[in-house]
Amino acid sequence: MNIIYITLGLIAIYLYVSFVSLLWEGLDRKLVARMQRRIGPPILQPFYDFLKLLSKESIIPRDANKLFELAPVLALASSIALLAYTPLGFEPLLATKGDVIVFIYLLTLIAFIRVIGAVSSGSPYAQIGAQREIVMIASREVPMMLGLFAILWRLSKLGVEKPFSLGTFYQYNIWEIGTPATIVGTLILLVVFIFWLASEIEVGYFNIPEAETEVAEGPMAEYSGRHLALFKLSNALKEFASASLVVAIFFPWGLSGYLGISGIGALIIDLLFHTLKVFAVLFVSMSVFRAVTGRLKITQAVGMFWSRIIPMSLIGVILLAIDVLGGVIA
Amino acid sequence: MMLPFLIIIPLFGAFSMPIVSLLGKKVKEYWAVIISGATLAVSAKIFYTVWKTNEIILYTLGSDSPIGQGVKFPIRIVWEVDLFGALLALTIAFVGFLAVVYSLGYMKHDTGLEKYYTLILILELGMLGIVITGDIFNFYVFLEIMSIASYALVAFRNDTWEGIEAGVKYMFVGSLASSFILLGIALLYGQYGTLTMSYLAIKIAENPTVVAKVALAFFIGGLLFKSGAVPVHMWLADAHPAAPSSISAMLSGLVIKAGGVYAVARIIFSIFNPGLHAYLRAFNAPAVDMNVVGWVIVFFACLTLLVGNAMAVVQTDMKRLFAFSSVGQIGYILLGIGIGILAYGTKAGELALAGAIYHIVNHALIKALLFLVAGAVIHQVGTKNLNELSGLAKRMPLTTFSFIIGAAAIIGLPPLNGFASKWIIYESSAMYNPILAAIAVVGTVFSLAAYTRVLFTFLGRESDRIKEAKEPEKSMIIPMLILVVVIIVMGLLPWQINDKVMLPTARMLEQLNGEYIMALLKFIGGA
Repeated sequence: MNIIYITLGLIAIYLYVSFVSLLWEGLDRKLVARMQRRIGPPILQPFYDFLKLLSKESIIPRDANKLFELAPVLALASSIALLAYTPLGFEPLLATKGDVIVFIYLLTLIAFIRVIGAVSSGSPYAQIGAQREIVMIASREVPMMLGLFAILWRLSKLGVEKPFSLGTFYQYNIWEIGTPATIVGTLILLVVFIFWLASEIEVGYFNIPEAETEVAEGPMAEYSGRHLALFKLSNALKEFASASLVVAIFFPWGLSGYLGISGIGALIIDLLFHTLKVFAVLFVSMSVFRAVTGRLKITQAVGMFWSRIIPMSLIGVILLAIDVLGGVIA
Repeated sequence: MMLPFLIIIPLFGAFSMPIVSLLGKKVKEYWAVIISGATLAVSAKIFYTVWKTNEIILYTLGSDSPIGQGVKFPIRIVWEVDLFGALLALTIAFVGFLAVVYSLGYMKHDTGLEKYYTLILILELGMLGIVITGDIFNFYVFLEIMSIASYALVAFRNDTWEGIEAGVKYMFVGSLASSFILLGIALLYGQYGTLTMSYLAIKIAENPTVVAKVALAFFIGGLLFKSGAVPVHMWLADAHPAAPSSISAMLSGLVIKAGGVYAVARIIFSIFNPGLHAYLRAFNAPAVDMNVVGWVIVFFACLTLLVGNAMAVVQTDMKRLFAFSSVGQIGYILLGIGIGILAYGTKAGELALAGAIYHIVNHALIKALLFLVAGAVIHQVGTKNLNELSGLAKRMPLTTFSFIIGAAAIIGLPPLNGFASKWIIYESSAMYNPILAAIAVVGTVFSLAAYTRVLFTFLGRESDRIKEAKEPEKSMIIPMLILVVVIIVMGLLPWQINDKVMLPTARMLEQLNGEYIMALLKFIGGA
């Protein structure tokens, strides 16, 4: 019986997040247009784009192999699976201890499947994009994992039921610890996560693998029609899930407690409030970032991660750990 | 009593092969398939029996009781099969069967096939003998049967220079390692006057002399050679690429396990039991310090998993890459065994041993699959140079699919079987000492890099070399697909397998209450 509820819940979440994440794409395009004194497309534009791509013919290059056609489906499948582990204002559907690893794994897997699809297309543009994507994966996931594991480890010291689950953010949040060191550490990690989010969704500085003007859409160069539509959708879902992670870590407060609502109503209120917070985080990390920064070279981006952001993350982690470790030493 | 048939059937098959092969070309191939299939059935039955009853089978050759008349100690050869031995026998018979089926298509263009099938059955026989025996000299005999058959099989294609070169190298190094082991056995026999493993365990515990320690050093040295641990892994990186791929699958999947890490674990846990010696030390009695042994093994394990996986990244020859990756994976298994010794009797130690045993089985299946894939590529395209093999995915989709599953499993991606075993090894090593876990993770990063590179050569743009390539015939595809199915199914039930099979196996190997010795003492008490 439980399995049926989870399946239904996942379908509902999937439908909701697909709608909301495409809606955000529209909002984002509108906002960036306004920042540049343009009118911009209508807010529902991504839906029209999606439907149009679905109806168009999908061209398969002669050099492509089976994985070229399979990759979009696998990417969408992994993004849907990712939703089952994403905190959306309430505990993830399949929250268990240690599910953070599944979350990171699925998130990385989506990027990796994109790479596999690109390599399978046989196009040299896609190959270059794929190489850049791999390099970016290797650099950006390190500070994120460091920060995420440190925060979860710190929270598990407060006595949670399911250590290292993304559900723990709704039991305790990282600000509650309240010592000056942890607050500064958390603030530093917040900056790290904003950068990580920007590179995960590849905007602004980090729009490197796709780089329209340089390598003609990179990994996506050979995709067209419904295959491209599936990729766009899975990217939108991934965007939402990544931003949800940032929101869940740093801003996990729900409204239902204050309003005194419980049951299904609480879930809906929290989900809506969570969506608003995701939009706010994405506004900073995506729209503003995209409007005010240009693209870096791949070497600059990698250098930035390894020489700035990873040390930043390390400092944040040490500040977070310091009072617990201090207790051990003393 | 099914146990003797585990040896009788392949022995009969091997010895009857020259006569059967007079009947015709096809007959000998089918004869080999029938024999290895029957062996598989017997080993499955034995595994089921041991697993069901959870008791060690003790079988005496030539009598009902291992105890001699009028004396109070065992004088006959005994075979002692606990779950660990039975599990390995099942794995050996399974992979061996698939390798024989695969050979039907793969070895079609070679000559001297009656010798090939005789040797492959002897190889299987030797490994089965190693995992069931409870007599240390009997163990040596089976080890040599296995080793000599594998020298001959590595050099089977004696018209290629690399086959001969690798065969000679393997033979010299392997004979040296075998003589270490024989020397160790001679020392133990001279000191204690018995060759039965469990009785030897009692004798050593009564009087642990320097000779016992020296013999243990010889055993570990020789067996690390046989398992391809790092300072002495060089024969492996030559022998695996040079052998026919069906043989590489058995060498990499089974030989280095049965003749290497299995024997290390068996000798340490059954003859020099860490628990027994820790108990003796607690009473200030002389004992062998097994912690030293544990650290030696952990040291070599860390070296092995770093160097093996790192060397895999830089290879351009597909089979050589897989061979180095095998070295790396042996590192994980040794790490599990090492922590099993160091943390003996604790949760971490038990978990580490279970992880090591699990990884032995998983790696046997995965690496067999990968070598069969490499064989299919070589058979169809004629090269194993990764730089020439771009874009195979379009011409050989099933082979590529098998490769992707195998590569993902060996890196340890969650829905496949490699994940659970590696996870258990990480977890237990982190529980024992986080630095060891960090080293293990670094090894995995290297192996991820190595296999990603191969994946990109399988995908990518078609090179001229493979324009004409097509899928191999059914007898080669089917074994690969069977392995793929087994890997996926095992991957879907990781913790069930761990709780139902691997943890009981680890407990039986650990023998906290001296079960392995008690199985023999039962007879002494009754005599």
